[in-house]
Amino acid sequence: MDELDLLKKDWKKQDADYPKLSYEEIYTIVHKKSSSVVKWIFIICIAELIFWNVINLLIPDSYFEIYEKLHLKTVLSISYVIHYAVVIGFIYLFYKNYNSICVIDSTNLLMKKIIRTRRTVNYYVYYNIIATIILSFIINFMMFSDEELLMQVFNPKNLDIGGDKLFNILLISQVIGLVIIILFLWIYYRIIYGILLKKLNKNYKELATLE
Amino acid sequence: MTKELEHKFISEFQENQNIIHKVCRIYTNNQEAHNDLFQEITIQLWKAYPKFRGDSKLSTWMYRIGLNTAITLYRKSKRTIKTQDFDTVLHRIQSTSYDDTEEEQLKLMYKAIHQLSDIDKALIFLYLEDKNYKEISETIGISEVNARVKMNRIKTRLKTILNP
Repeated sequence: MDELDLLKKDWKKQDADYPKLSYEEIYTIVHKKSSSVVKWIFIICIAELIFWNVINLLIPDSYFEIYEKLHLKTVLSISYVIHYAVVIGFIYLFYKNYNSICVIDSTNLLMKKIIRTRRTVNYYVYYNIIATIILSFIINFMMFSDEELLMQVFNPKNLDIGGDKLFNILLISQVIGLVIIILFLWIYYRIIYGILLKKLNKNYKELATLE
Repeated sequence: MTKELEHKFISEFQENQNIIHKVCRIYTNNQEAHNDLFQEITIQLWKAYPKFRGDSKLSTWMYRIGLNTAITLYRKSKRTIKTQDFDTVLHRIQSTSYDDTEEEQLKLMYKAIHQLSDIDKALIFLYLEDKNYKEISETIGISEVNARVKMNRIKTRLKTILNP
């Protein structure tokens, strides 16, 4: 191809045309902070790990009183032990993946490692949502299996609300809560993937189609 | 020790900085974006420098980090202004004795390269730097056969852009 040969010839001549940065100029750059994708992913992932844990810690103790009344304390205690074991597992995986990111790897491998790191934290968020859903199913099942106790706890003043109505109110409020969480997460991930990882995903797909 | 390492790095980098300017030349089309990417690559090189053992050539190491930063780590600055083309070619050619057609062809060539995907740009860059297919395939992380296939496709694509 003529044009490409011409370009190659020109390419070799251009060395002299570039600005020569002085020692001081390079020194200044070296001391600046990186704003690479990996750094942002690290910050966001850490924030997510903290966010989900803080949410658990922020729940006031009074919230648990109701569970005590409903005889659900044991179930919750077990679920907390499992939960923290899983959290530690996720944190370990995240650090393992993050530490494996190496800028000197081939482009393909580097992108794979970044995506893997990001995916670990995605799974963590999925885990939190799924665990919440499962736990609320268990709790609901146990709650509603003893209607008398349920009425006692949620309707202590003995207002004239039927069991069906109370059931519906509880169910609807839980569904609304879930929908809001999922919507919020969807928007959030659109932002993360839209802004931060769009370019990386596109380039990764391009290489993947070659294989 | 760190000061010593820093001094060594800056001195070596200063001598080889053209490699990074060339990466920026392929991936950006205005001065501001060029400087921005140059800066990010330099930071990445410095961060990776303590692990540089010298078992590969410094230039090879710089190619890798330069391209990886441009393709993967660097997020395009929002300030990129497309209309203000960074036309070093045109600027340069005026002072050199090229004939008009060559000058025009080169200008179109650079414009065409800027339309390619990030991966294609990396292949063209390594091709212009006289790297063989083995080195190209190792840098990008694809097989040699795929590198060849891809290179041929890029050549065809450049041809289509230039002669629509």
